[in-house]
Amino acid sequence: MSTPPGPHARLTGGLLLWFGVLGGAVAWAVHLLAAWGLDELACAAGSERVSAVPLVQAVGLAVVIPALVTVGSLLVAALVWRRTMRAQRAGAQDRAFGRSRMLAVVGVWANLLFLTIIVLSGIAVLVLPPCQR
Amino acid sequence: MTGHGGVVAAATGAEALSTELPVGRSTGWWGMVMFVATEATLFACLLGSYFYLRFQYGPQWPPNGIGDPELLKPLVMTAVLLPSSLPVVWAEHGIRQGQRWRLRCGLAATMVLGATFLALQATEYAEKLKHFTMTTDVYGSLFYLITGFHGLHVLVGLTMIGWLLATSLRGGSFGAHRHERVRNAAIYWHFVDLVWIAILFTIYLSPRL
Amino acid sequence: MSTTTTPSPGASREDLARLAEHWGERPSLRAWFATVDHKRIGRRYLVTAGFFFVLAGLNALVMRTQLARPEAGVVSPQEYNQLFSMHGIAMIFLFATPMLFGFGNFLVPLMIGSRDMAFPRLNAFGYWVFLFAGLFMWASLPFGAAPNNGWFAYVPLSGEQNNPGLHMDVYALGLLFLGISTTAAAINFIVTALKLRAPGMSLNRVPLFVWAIVATAFMVIFALPALNLDNAMLFLDRRFGTHFFDPAAGGNVLLWQHLFWIFGHPDVYIIVMPALGIVSAVLPAFTRRGVVGYPLIVLSIVAIAIISFGVWVHHMFATGLPQLSYSFFSAASTVITIPSGLQIFAWLATMLLGRLVIRVPLLFVIGFVVTFVLGGFTGVMFALTAFDQQVTDSYFVVAHFHYVLIGGAVFPMLAGIYYWLPKITGRMYHERLGRWAFWLVFAGMHVTFFPMHLYGLFGMPRRVYTYRSEPGWAGWNLVSTVGSYLLAVGLLLVLVGVVHAVRRGRPAPADPWDGDSLEWSTASPPEPHNFPVLPRVHSLHPMWDERTAESVGPGATSDRILSEGRHTLFTSELDAHPERAVQMPEPTLKPLVLAAALLLFFTSMLFAWYPVAAVAALTVAATIAVWLWPPRPLEQDLKVVP
Repeated sequence: MSTPPGPHARLTGGLLLWFGVLGGAVAWAVHLLAAWGLDELACAAGSERVSAVPLVQAVGLAVVIPALVTVGSLLVAALVWRRTMRAQRAGAQDRAFGRSRMLAVVGVWANLLFLTIIVLSGIAVLVLPPCQR
Repeated sequence: MTGHGGVVAAATGAEALSTELPVGRSTGWWGMVMFVATEATLFACLLGSYFYLRFQYGPQWPPNGIGDPELLKPLVMTAVLLPSSLPVVWAEHGIRQGQRWRLRCGLAATMVLGATFLALQATEYAEKLKHFTMTTDVYGSLFYLITGFHGLHVLVGLTMIGWLLATSLRGGSFGAHRHERVRNAAIYWHFVDLVWIAILFTIYLSPRL
Repeated sequence: MSTTTTPSPGASREDLARLAEHWGERPSLRAWFATVDHKRIGRRYLVTAGFFFVLAGLNALVMRTQLARPEAGVVSPQEYNQLFSMHGIAMIFLFATPMLFGFGNFLVPLMIGSRDMAFPRLNAFGYWVFLFAGLFMWASLPFGAAPNNGWFAYVPLSGEQNNPGLHMDVYALGLLFLGISTTAAAINFIVTALKLRAPGMSLNRVPLFVWAIVATAFMVIFALPALNLDNAMLFLDRRFGTHFFDPAAGGNVLLWQHLFWIFGHPDVYIIVMPALGIVSAVLPAFTRRGVVGYPLIVLSIVAIAIISFGVWVHHMFATGLPQLSYSFFSAASTVITIPSGLQIFAWLATMLLGRLVIRVPLLFVIGFVVTFVLGGFTGVMFALTAFDQQVTDSYFVVAHFHYVLIGGAVFPMLAGIYYWLPKITGRMYHERLGRWAFWLVFAGMHVTFFPMHLYGLFGMPRRVYTYRSEPGWAGWNLVSTVGSYLLAVGLLLVLVGVVHAVRRGRPAPADPWDGDSLEWSTASPPEPHNFPVLPRVHSLHPMWDERTAESVGPGATSDRILSEGRHTLFTSELDAHPERAVQMPEPTLKPLVLAAALLLFFTSMLFAWYPVAAVAALTVAATIAVWLWPPRPLEQDLKVVP
């Protein structure tokens, strides 16, 4: 904390903050498009496979990978929240800390919400046969 | 601050995590970026509709014996359109240093490339219209809507570039301290270029996959 | 309570005179058409949207009269189709969003401590386009050529074969035309909120209303293209014989529904979100404390804005897609209730922990909570696919979305009208009259729409021009009709209250409510330059904060007075550090000319006068080119050798 971070570290830090805030949202959007698109198109074409992979596994991947990304985003948001809170406790006056902390709180809760949606979809993949109408 | 661990520690310190990013952009830049965002969504919907209709249609695509699209001409068009972003970048860097001749030359070069693209598209249309039109079937509708809509965007982009060129001929319209319009038009032109790649993949390459 | 004098001793008399000279507009006909003042434009949005609201409300009264008893003959089936279609289209596209954007136009610069929107001329252009698009669509009704296929215009019913005539061309072209205005306004809001905030207003100090408007604007940017594309395809199918929605030639009718609801569901939140922002803005003044859980409300605004894009298929649970596909959207539809509920609980906690000041705006807020929660409750029921399939296209759905939209949008708007009327007009409203209006509107709303749940469950389908007496729906329908007249009387009283305030109301002080956000630091109504001194913001509630008040007092520096020209201040995106003063544009007629050229373009497209349309398109391009022509060169650039 003693030396101010260099431009490279600042860029990374700034991007990390936004990953913590919006990572879950983006992961969920990708999950929704991929899982829905795979299911819809494969079933419309009348097959339960996506090239060589069974449809359930393909859709399952479209659930698991975004879920992991969301968990990562959640951890980053929690980290930002803790670091900025400590800095503020230590008496830092910069209002950027307050702004980052607010965004981090938003990120933590948003990521929990998106993780919930992805997990619920994952349960549906386990329960429902992929092409049942 | 040495080694890998030091870099990570610096990037995850409270100060780095509170870096203001994005910062210092002008209103014009934000306006253009938002406009491009909404336009990009429009193209995403358009290409999404293409795939939706294509996969709902069945195995034979393009339908009714239209045949896979020829690749040679679109690849030439790509080779013309994609590099046209470079003169814009060069011109923009030039005007930031107050070099108006670079602005004029770069814009003129882009104009030529863009116009060539449109001319090639016109010849392509002339050929295709003999085989199928917008009203033949849904493939024809999609083909002409998507490529035509992109062509319209190239035309709009060219109008912007031409307008910049016209204004730049008046001394002092642009200079080292005033080049925002150049930058905004450049953002739009790059966008038009990038969309073409998506269209090339969707219309011309994906039926062969 | 503050005094009525100009509340900023920080600017000298000379500064004030210069500001008035640079920003003021002398009243003249030209000035009226050329204005770029966000306050005048905002007021025009409010009045015009209110006018369209009255027209659409009259449509509804005719429909309720027709449905009061079985087999009535007030209107023909064809007329009824046009009435319910125009009612829905006007309420959603011409009233709700423009009304809220009107509030946004008037308030966002005032709340963030700026002197205008980021793009004032674009703002004026957006208004003219909205006005012309609204008139374009309404003009079709007297000719019997109005849209007649409901506000979501499903194909194949809206196709050329099944629906000849201009009806659906008016719909497609009208909405494309209007979309220009909505997109322009959305971009303007985002850029304004990013760059023009007063120094010190970092993201964690931005008023909730501004967050709501910005989130709405982002939703518009990403949702509206789907609707525009849909309408472009519909128009091409109808007019030029393409086959996007024609199954015989490989098209697909479900494509319309997908694209429509990709736009349509976010649109529900586009309508409700800014209204919820109004609630968050009104509550602090009448509970004497900030809204509980500011970060959580920001979270719920952001989360709703994003998740709303992933729920569209729940409008299509009756269309026969794989069930696994449904469940992805079911999951999102279920979870989106969490942030919505979060806001409701935050407001309830605010009321619980605060000291309530019962005035008309707060009454409407309470009415909003009750009504909106009921609408949300029936909304959650639709997330269950099985239930949804039972009540699709019945009056139950009509009841649900009127609870959501009247509860979630109209009540907060009415709260906002009473709350900001002193700021907008400089006059106070009549409290007793306002209370009468509230109780009539509240009672009328519930008497009208609650029975619709019942006869919806009894099986009455929506969008029928009449019904037979056998199913036993007549009694409840009569109740609904009586309720709708009651509602109309209540809304008339609101109008009377506004007119009374403008004509006879007592002059309003700058801050009649002891409110918390910056608009209350300006005069009532605000000077053309809004703020004699741009404030320096030190907290989330700047008006309740001594240091912010001091920042506009004696000792204010000239970099926040900026009286040398028509200037305002750019600040940085996240933390609002001052960047530079900028010149704002002067009044101009170009926005009006451009909008008129577009009107000509869309009208000639409608009537298939294609050469005229080409001329209009060229006029549009020429006007834009002149509009953007760079001003005279800068001194320092002239010195550089070309």
